Amino acid sequence: MVPDDMNSQTSVEQRIANVQSADSAEALLSAVEHLAAAKHPSATACLLEILGFNNPGAAVAAVDGLIAIGEPAVEPILASLGTNNYGARAWSVRALAGIADPRGLEVLERALATDIGPSVRRAAASGLGRLDLRSLPDEQASGLVERCLQALLLACGDGEWIVRYAVVVGLEGLALKQAERISVLSFEALRHALAGLAAGSDPLTPVVVQRRSALALHRIDHSGGPHG
Amino acid sequence: MSAPSSTTIEMADPIDEAEALRRLRATDDPSAQYYAAWWLGRHRSQHPDTLPLLLAAMRQRRARQLGDGVEENAVARNATRAVGKLGPSASEAIPVLLELLDDPDYGLREAAARSLGELKATVALPALVARLRSGPNVAGARASDSANLVEPCEALLEAIGDLGPSDEEVIGVLESFLAHERPVVQCSACRSLLQLTQEPRWGERLKTLLLHPQLQVRRAALMDLGATGWRPAAQAIAATLAENSLKLIALRGLVESAPSDGLDEEIFDVMDGLL
Repeated sequence: MVPDDMNSQTSVEQRIANVQSADSAEALLSAVEHLAAAKHPSATACLLEILGFNNPGAAVAAVDGLIAIGEPAVEPILASLGTNNYGARAWSVRALAGIADPRGLEVLERALATDIGPSVRRAAASGLGRLDLRSLPDEQASGLVERCLQALLLACGDGEWIVRYAVVVGLEGLALKQAERISVLSFEALRHALAGLAAGSDPLTPVVVQRRSALALHRIDHSGGPHG
Repeated sequence: MSAPSSTTIEMADPIDEAEALRRLRATDDPSAQYYAAWWLGRHRSQHPDTLPLLLAAMRQRRARQLGDGVEENAVARNATRAVGKLGPSASEAIPVLLELLDDPDYGLREAAARSLGELKATVALPALVARLRSGPNVAGARASDSANLVEPCEALLEAIGDLGPSDEEVIGVLESFLAHERPVVQCSACRSLLQLTQEPRWGERLKTLLLHPQLQVRRAALMDLGATGWRPAAQAIAATLAENSLKLIALRGLVESAPSDGLDEEIFDVMDGLL
């Protein structure tokens, strides 16, 4: 989103100034929401800073803002990961999952496998199911789909129900949108994992995850894809 | 209903069932017992030693001590919560839970009420109603020595809803708590009334409480709607100003609390959007 006139640029600067001068949690939240609504790349640095403030309301709004900025925010987010505190990194993972840029893949893989926060693993799992690979050559895209798939399959046994739920949603996303990039063998593994979750063979898989898995299988079977 | 804690202690200390049972036997180490009781409930342990050990732990009494880091009668409270999670195999615990409903310890009465509801112990209905019959101004009055009410009203109200079919007298007692000064208690009353009568007006009232200015009330209304399985609440839950984690728990409740022949695609689409 490139602004078409100087007014909106000035306005972003003003909105950043409002964030910096906010003197209460409520004022900050409203200033961040306003800045996020600008959807302008020049807001990226300020939005990233907010992720480290330990203010969940403002962080949610900042993540929404980063997702709205999209592709231009990816490099700054990745660059910030080395220096930020844990809280900020967790929010960054959520932003990368939402932007769905393939450059976020490695961060999402690591977050799903190792992050201590269930909400972070949950976001990573759903992000791995919906990376936008249209800009990549076919061969490279197929390799990335395979990595997403393997990361999700490894997380089917996560101890938190909501992470398992997000893994199911991620697997469904791959099966419906990337089917032609998945080998027969890998597709079989995907279907097998969903069938296992749908059957609830593990007592830590609650009914809601079983039913979501059954829905995913239903949608895959009726999608008319190459593996149907 | 109070919102669940967002943190879980599970990852700090992965143990297995044998280790949990060993720790629960260690009566000289209350903090090990406290964790073990929680673990056995969370994993719905069906080991033959689990229930006898939890029943013994429910009778342990220990005042809060300096540096404990745990609450008064902490082991007994956690064991009481755990038996509620064990399912039908824990029916032997019902007489003990009924005794605990009359315990002087507020926290034990609260845990016992919740577990009786979870175990669907219909035999407990008269005892649960009896503790609330004096109404919002007596049972629901503020305790003189703490921030608690005289009775654990939320837990008692919710347990009555969990037990299923009730008569008009019970409905009358529940309705009297709609006038309680604390909105979270009103939430609990609405929840049970919705479960017992299936009248949409109680669901609509809970939806109104989703808009309450206090986050704590919105969280309670979320959890209570989830527990009722009232599917028309799905969109209102998604639109509530609260953490996505809690909205997801509430929506899970809609899917799991009442059986459905359909695919529940509307609810699942809403949940997928909150990940």
